[in-house]
Amino acid sequence: MLEIKNLETRIGDSDILRGLSLSIKAGEVHAIMGPNGSGKSTLAQVIAGHEDYIVTAGSVSYNDKDLLELAPEERAREGIFLGFQYPVEIPGVNNAYLLKAAVNAKRKHQGLDEVDAFEFLKIAREKMAVLGMDPKFLNRGVNEGFSGGEKKRNEILQMAMLEPQLAILDETDSGLDIDALKAVADGVNALRSPERAIILVTHYQRLLDYVQPDYVHVLSAGRIVKSGDKSLALELEEKGYDWLREAVPA
Amino acid sequence: MNRLSTEKLKDIVGRLPTSRDEDWKYTDLKTARDISTRWLAAGSAAAFLDLDAEIQRITGSIDANWFVVANGTLQRLNEADDVVAERIDGPPATDSALAELNAALLQDGLRIRINGKPAKPVGVLVIDGAADPSVSQAYVEIELAAGASADIVEYQASQGTAELYANSAVTLLVGDNAAVNYVRLQNRAPGHVQTGRMAVTMGRDSQLRMASYDLGGGLIRNDVVIDLSQPGADVAFDGLYLAGEGQHIDNHTRVDHRVGPATSTQEYRGILNGRCRCVWNGKAVVHEGADGTDASQANHNLLLSEKAEIDAKPELEIYAEDVKCSHGTTVGQLDESSIFYLRTRGIDEEHAQQMLTFAFAADIVARAPVDAARATVSACVEKRLAELIAADFILDMPK
Repeated sequence: MLEIKNLETRIGDSDILRGLSLSIKAGEVHAIMGPNGSGKSTLAQVIAGHEDYIVTAGSVSYNDKDLLELAPEERAREGIFLGFQYPVEIPGVNNAYLLKAAVNAKRKHQGLDEVDAFEFLKIAREKMAVLGMDPKFLNRGVNEGFSGGEKKRNEILQMAMLEPQLAILDETDSGLDIDALKAVADGVNALRSPERAIILVTHYQRLLDYVQPDYVHVLSAGRIVKSGDKSLALELEEKGYDWLREAVPA
Repeated sequence: MNRLSTEKLKDIVGRLPTSRDEDWKYTDLKTARDISTRWLAAGSAAAFLDLDAEIQRITGSIDANWFVVANGTLQRLNEADDVVAERIDGPPATDSALAELNAALLQDGLRIRINGKPAKPVGVLVIDGAADPSVSQAYVEIELAAGASADIVEYQASQGTAELYANSAVTLLVGDNAAVNYVRLQNRAPGHVQTGRMAVTMGRDSQLRMASYDLGGGLIRNDVVIDLSQPGADVAFDGLYLAGEGQHIDNHTRVDHRVGPATSTQEYRGILNGRCRCVWNGKAVVHEGADGTDASQANHNLLLSEKAEIDAKPELEIYAEDVKCSHGTTVGQLDESSIFYLRTRGIDEEHAQQMLTFAFAADIVARAPVDAARATVSACVEKRLAELIAADFILDMPK
């Protein structure tokens, strides 16, 4: 589904990704771990299409299309979802309005009719109940005045509504209490299916207790330095990242 | 109807402000002078349009106790419990050519006295419309007795395509311990010229919550002058101006803190698109001895076109010791990270920009302090904004 080959990116004067390769198939859950500054968030942003990151080498194909040719909104409509590490607050844009516009943008792209208001609210309320979100959040500004946990739940709500084919969750677990973490994990697990793939970008092993990954990759200095199964995450939890840096000089 | 000879009127018109006047640096009233001159040459007469339908529409949209001044004539005087009103001749001419013009040409002044807590908002509609170049005046004096509290809506509108110059003066006297929520909505027809001066005097421990919305017109100049000469006054006023091709909207505000403690805060926001110019000049003067003053001013502008121009100037003059004052102005474009966020949700770039533009205005709409007026304010802002940014949708504002 996603094929990243020797990807190199730059923002401003600094090179972030330095030859990253990663292959993801439908049905798989990949965890990407690594120390701060290793390029985890950059990878997430580049897949979503952030224009500040310049791709200087390599390729990314998604369902056999050149992903780098697509605008961020086209990627979203093609089924890519990025759950932000720091979701933006947009006062004045109603949460329900955004959700509905997002769902309909995708449906239109798929040649489907727009979802009607009644049906939309029904589905949104169901999904919110699963995530333990108060329905009143629908009428608030997007993430406006939300706590850290509420913002992350809201990202998962958007993901649940959009039913992406490839979901990238960038540190969705950071700053969450145990209840919120479980709610987020439930939301992610509910999305797991043979047609979908999920990338969990995380600093800690904690989330992986609840969402079991098929593969764990360690990113350091802009490339993947080690890959393994979920036992690698436990090893990292125990030993930290330093042993990898020593083993594989950048 | 004119109290002065045409020669005398020509003299006043000739003295209307030009950009050589310090307070009018960015706004020259040449258009107003020209319209006035043509109107005087035509014998101070114009064929008026039938405004009844529009008056019905507007007064029907906000549940209020309406007073209507149409083409300078008092058409509806609606007294109610706690609301006493009368027609007056108007104020003596004061210190400016605009005030002289108002006094000289005024047909019907309106005085409203609010004693207790009226059940409905007091609405004042100033509406004009003629088939020929015309000039109109309005003078409204509203006084809240000590301890009174009221919602007030001032709506300025006009009809037609003939040149129009409307000049108004509003005096608001807020008594001790009185509280007023005030909404000003300016939704004049394209090209029309308006100068409006609002003078507010606040009593001891009185409160004012005000929001102004400038949506229409061609050349608009508003002056809001607030006098705080009693301790304990608390004033918050906000504004939103939406300017498109050919519009010029100038908001000058001045707050005189003469005693403390007293609080004044203001936030004006503007959205500009196309060749247009807006001015925001917010002045706060903290006079000697006005210790305990808390004054803040903010002005934020969204420029959606390179042809749009904003002149934003906060002015603080502080002659007291123990004061808290702040000001901030921003001029900018839409937040890139918000646009990216929306795009990652499948919203195309143009739609994302439009959503954020609505959102920028929505904050000030939400602050409309008169509940009964918010739906109308919201609908008018939505409509104007959709025109301004050529949006093919409307993003619901707070109602």
